[in-house]
Amino acid sequence: MKQILLIAAGEWRYWLRSRLALGSAFIFLLLFFVTSVLSSWHIEAQSHSREHHQSEAEDTFLAQPDRHPHRMVHYGHYLFRTAAPLASFDPGLDMVTGQSIFLEGHRQNTVMFAESAASADFGGLSWLSPALIYQLFAPLIIILLAYGSIAREREAAVLAPLMALGVSGHQLIAGKALALLSFILLMLVPLLISSSLALNRGESLNALLLLAGFYFIYLSLWLALSLLASTVFKKRASVLLTLFGLWFGLNLVLPSLAVNAIGSESTAAGKIESDLIMMADLRKLGNGHNASDPAFTKLKADLLAEHGVDNIEELPVNFRGIVAMYSEKKLTKVLNDYANKRMMAELQQEQALVRFGWLSPALAIAAASRAIAGTDLIHYHLFQTQAEAVRFNFVQGLNRAHAEALSYQADINRNKDEDSWKKARVDASNWQVLDEYEFQTAALSERYSNAAQAMRMLLAWLILAIAILFWRGGSIKP
Amino acid sequence: MKLQANSLYIERSGKQVLQGISFSVDQGQVYALLGGNGAGKSTTLLSFLGFLLPASGQALIDAKEVGADIGAARKNIAYLPESASLYEHLNAHENIEYFLQLAGSAATQAHIDGALDQVALAPDARLRKLRDYSKGMRQKVAIALAILRDTDILLLDEPTSGLDPNAIDEFHQLVRQLADKGKTILMVTHDVYGACQVADKIGLLHSGCLVGEFSAEDGNSIDTEVVHKAFSASAKSPSKISQTEPA
Ligand SMILES: Nc1ncnc2c1ncn2[C@@H]1O[C@H](COP(=O)(O)OP(=O)(O)OP(=O)(O)O)[C@@H](O)[C@H]1O
Ligand SMILES: [Mg+2]
Repeated sequence: MKQILLIAAGEWRYWLRSRLALGSAFIFLLLFFVTSVLSSWHIEAQSHSREHHQSEAEDTFLAQPDRHPHRMVHYGHYLFRTAAPLASFDPGLDMVTGQSIFLEGHRQNTVMFAESAASADFGGLSWLSPALIYQLFAPLIIILLAYGSIAREREAAVLAPLMALGVSGHQLIAGKALALLSFILLMLVPLLISSSLALNRGESLNALLLLAGFYFIYLSLWLALSLLASTVFKKRASVLLTLFGLWFGLNLVLPSLAVNAIGSESTAAGKIESDLIMMADLRKLGNGHNASDPAFTKLKADLLAEHGVDNIEELPVNFRGIVAMYSEKKLTKVLNDYANKRMMAELQQEQALVRFGWLSPALAIAAASRAIAGTDLIHYHLFQTQAEAVRFNFVQGLNRAHAEALSYQADINRNKDEDSWKKARVDASNWQVLDEYEFQTAALSERYSNAAQAMRMLLAWLILAIAILFWRGGSIKP
Repeated sequence: MKLQANSLYIERSGKQVLQGISFSVDQGQVYALLGGNGAGKSTTLLSFLGFLLPASGQALIDAKEVGADIGAARKNIAYLPESASLYEHLNAHENIEYFLQLAGSAATQAHIDGALDQVALAPDARLRKLRDYSKGMRQKVAIALAILRDTDILLLDEPTSGLDPNAIDEFHQLVRQLADKGKTILMVTHDVYGACQVADKIGLLHSGCLVGEFSAEDGNSIDTEVVHKAFSASAKSPSKISQTEPA
């Protein structure tokens, strides 16, 4: 053990004297700092514009005068997604999915980007997140520090006298690994500092530690790979070339191949086709604006029987409002079925991509990281599902006002003349149907289980690399 | 401690490098291995360190096979490699300190300075990084390290290469003193004259075979002339000389 510590300390001394560690740490910190600032600025600007839009949308909705309730159904309302506390570290899918949705009757709209001054400011740089610095660039720093650890000493012929002292190959590797592990721990400090801002936004400390833990495993994997290459190859140049090749293949080539492979499976034509099928399905439900649509004959008969009256004029409720509620419910069920199918397909696609993590650890850490940060597909779907619940409640609230606060007579006569038009209105107090909504990131235990598969991949990679390293370490020759 | 090679065969990359050599070095003796480039001298040293294990035959330390417990064998050996292999980013003191600590033995700064005095390394150089050293200066640091290890056995691979004539003379005196104090010393060299001066025995290695062995008579050193002749003869036709002993 003493030898291992001595070797680790010796490695640190070499780093400090060669300015290697300082230079690497400086580059890393600079990259991290710049991306952190850009990213928090981006999120900040987004959340500002989101708050602004949200309150503006609510205010204008609530400020609407007395109207026909169905006009409010079509007037619609905006819902905005609050960024996850850790989104400024790992924006994940948020970069491409948008965060606002327009809620209205009879339709489920897609999530859009809220127009914000921020999105234009970053040009091509907005994809460069602090998480990406850890996923993509941190391995390069580790390669730079580790590639020479063993090969350098072999080239300088110090391996022979070193081992002649009784230092074993395993001790040598353990010592170098210890030095590198301590460097990795230092590399995680900026992550912990910057993500600790998330604590103020309601994130738990455990989430930060978990996130740091995942990156620790990921970077340790690169450490093991670098040490392995440094033991296997005789020349430092070959070690460096191999590791750069590996980095390029695992971190750039494989992920883009994986995205292409999965992307080509589902085509845009498929989406248009399924949209057409859905429209046909919806048409079968009848037109909710037309109470005499044959689709509602049974509803009418049941309702008349229930209230023991002969015609809809005698009902205590507005039949047109009942039809609107009934048809919204039916329609929503169909829409939800299609939405669930679509989300399921998206999820399968995502899982297919994550499965490539068995080949590329960069894909695995990216998946684990956004799962913990709450910026993954699952959270995107969560927002859509929650937004749909809000939409349904708000539309049905207006439809209930239609059924209960507006008489059938006034309703059907609304187009007769100016006066009837004015009579076919309900009081603006009925517009208080908007639920208080704030998007919440899922509980940590849930996020953890979403990240579990990616973590298994990283661990498998790490264990394999360490096993090979251990095996090769026993046969290090000067 | 006693070093002994017993019909030692060593293969490197499929090639027979040592072809069954036998010799022994007793405690308090200096054994010099002479031979042309590629004869197998360094290989012989490496086999006593357990870096190369015999294809057949044995490398023994105190009658125990090196391969049986390499760690134990290395504990008793100070090894001076062919090229002074030290850390370029450390100064003489730091190099010696680091290696000694790794070997599990510690020395005070005074001890280290004492050893550096013995090898006559200029005091003003001692705190400069080795990257600014000449070949001979590095060699001196490596020798100082070997002395400070204070082991029973010293394996020295061309210890005088790069040293100036004065330093070579002083080194040979040092080696003699160490042997007289009871160290067992196996030394590889190209310096026939120096070997004859300091060694109790000289082995002449040619293409992995020990083609001649010379011992010092009591009180006298080995005759340089005889060794020289045998050396040149072995280079021309090795089969002619066998176990040439001075009369
Ligand atoms: N690392 C190696 N791998 C394979 N063969 C080697 C290796 N090093 C040396 N050899 C071979 O072993 C033989 C003996 O080499 P060795 O280094 O023992 O010679 P030497 O007597 O020390 O020569 P020199 O005086 O040049 O130092 C040579 O033929 C050489 O080709
Ligand atoms: Mg040699």
